[in-house]
This record gives sequence, C-alpha cells and structure tokens, in this order.
Amino acid sequence: MKRLTNIFGVALTAALLSVGVASAASLGLGTGKLGAGSATVSGCTSSSLTTTRNVDNSGNVTQVNVTGVPQACAAETLAVTLQNSTNTSLGAVSAVVGTCSGGCTVTLTGFGSVSAANVNAYALSLTQ
Amino acid sequence: MRRSLLISQRLLIAVVVATIASVGVAYGASLGLGSKKLHAWNQTLTKGTCNQTSTTADDTYVQQALPTSTTGGAATTLTISPVAAAQDYAFIRFNLSGCSLPTTAGADSAVLTVRVTTSGNDTISLFPVTSSWSSSTLTWNGVSGLTIGSTATGTFSASTTGNKTVTVTADVDAAIKAGTLWGWELRATSGTAIVAIGAAENATSTNRPSMTLNYEK
Repeated sequence: MKRLTNIFGVALTAALLSVGVASAASLGLGTGKLGAGSATVSGCTSSSLTTTRNVDNSGNVTQVNVTGVPQACAAETLAVTLQNSTNTSLGAVSAVVGTCSGGCTVTLTGFGSVSAANVNAYALSLTQ
Repeated sequence: MRRSLLISQRLLIAVVVATIASVGVAYGASLGLGSKKLHAWNQTLTKGTCNQTSTTADDTYVQQALPTSTTGGAATTLTISPVAAAQDYAFIRFNLSGCSLPTTAGADSAVLTVRVTTSGNDTISLFPVTSSWSSSTLTWNGVSGLTIGSTATGTFSASTTGNKTVTVTADVDAAIKAGTLWGWELRATSGTAIVAIGAAENATSTNRPSMTLNYEK
C-alpha cells in the first residue's frame, strides 16, 4: 500500500515537472524569446523603427526607407506592407537586412502604382 | 482487494498524465526548433493640408541685361524672357515652417499655381532649386552659384493669361525631407515672347503664386 502511494507520488511529480518543461520550451526561456504560437519576438530589436517613403511627381510611392535597423538584425527579412484606412494591403515588399555598422537603412522598392495619398499606415515585420 | 484496485486506478491516471505531458514537451521542442522569430509593428500616418499663399511665398526675377540687379525682389510681376542676351528668369519658393512638418514627413500631393498676367507664345519650365537664395539678394550673376536641377519638374504654356498649375509633388516631398523648400527657377524653354506672372507683392491677391500641399507625417 505504502509502496503504491510512493509510486503514485513519483508519477505525479514527474507529470508536473514535464508540464513545466513544456511550458518553458514554449516560452523560449533561456534565449530571450517570447513564445506566441509558432512565432516569437525577434531578439534583434524591440523598438519601432522609423519609416519614410518617397514619391514620384504623380504621388505614387517609389520606395520605402526603414532607418535605424540595428546591426543585430542583419540577415533577417524586413517586410513592409502599405495599408489604407481600413488596414487593407495596397502593396507589400520584403528585403533582407544587410550588414552595416551602427543603424542600417533598408530601402524597399517595387510597390507598384500605389498612391501615397491612400497610404494610412505601414505594417512592418522582421523575421529570421 | 478493493483498496488495491483504487490504487491501481490512480497509478494508471498518473501514467496517462505523465504521457500527455511528455507529448507536450515534444511539441514544445518542435515549436522551438521549427518556428520563425517575428517582430511586427505598425506606423500610422497623420494626413493634413498646408496650403501656401503669398504670405509664405518669396519670389524674384533676375535679368541677364542687368546682371547685378536685385530689383526683381520687390517687383509686383515676375518677367520671364527667352530673348537672347536679355533673358529673364523667375524664382519662386515657399516657407513651409508653418506646416510644422518633420523631415520624416512627406508630400502626398503638391500643386503650384501661378497667374500669367502678360501672355506670349512661350513654354515655361520649372526647374527645382535645392540651394538657398533670397529675393532681396539674388542676381543674374548669382544664379550660377545655385544648385538647380537639369530636368524640368513641369511646364505650362503662357500663351494665355490666367492661372497655370504645375504638379510639384516630388520636389516638395524631397524638400520636406531636406528640411527646406527652395522652390523653382522658371524660364522659357521655347518661344520668343516676354511674359510675366504675378508676384507675391502683387496688389491683387489672386495674381500671387500659391501652392496646395497635402502631406503625411
């Protein structure tokens, strides 16, 4: 009887420990990454970066410039989506962050004929 | 016997829980190995209008025949002449400081309006100026020291009097990012007539240069 109780206690402890390990794995403890389903926060930056755009004389976006990208983000993929007032995508382009000293500027081109007047927001992401 | 059965059931439950937890560990490990890291954010833009009138305009014209003259700075009309050895160029700019636009802002659209007060069969072209000048000091000789684009931003026909509009969005967008709008040089690129447009000093407000500006910041 006592033996069986001990076995039960050991099994319960192992179960709780396993749950804890699983939870730790999903949080990415030890690597500074925060879990969220299949995505975790990139470790290269935690701040919002400055985004500007250039236009041609017709008012169409010719390029988007993201400045102040930390060097730690080199080789990550920066994606920019131009959104209208209802957050609908008007065009999206991505590029790989190059190597640079200090803050990098990433220039993205090829958005097509998107009128800057219709762009109300930039949605950006950095992925490894 | 009955107690042994109860214990066996508890043991079975514990084994099942441990098994499920193990599967969870495996799943967690697979997430860590296969997932991508993502940092996402949004930047929302503010739209606005900052139209320019004669109160923010500065203009002049320079005369090849009087290469050191600054009289164009106070003139009520700006003369543009393609006549050989007597060419006149006009200069117009606006002070955008009242718009309080940071250098990260941009122009969504910008349209310059001038009024032709003396017509002639000329095509007037606007060339962007990107270096500083003042209507009180600019002379014909001083023009060579300015930085002026070689490609015309736009043109208009001066064959009739009245308002003429030129889209200048790209120039104004670049100027916002540079911090200052130094405007345009207006000169005849075809034709032989001497024409005139209203200056900021013109007594009739509708004759003065103006610019509509829609921006984002």
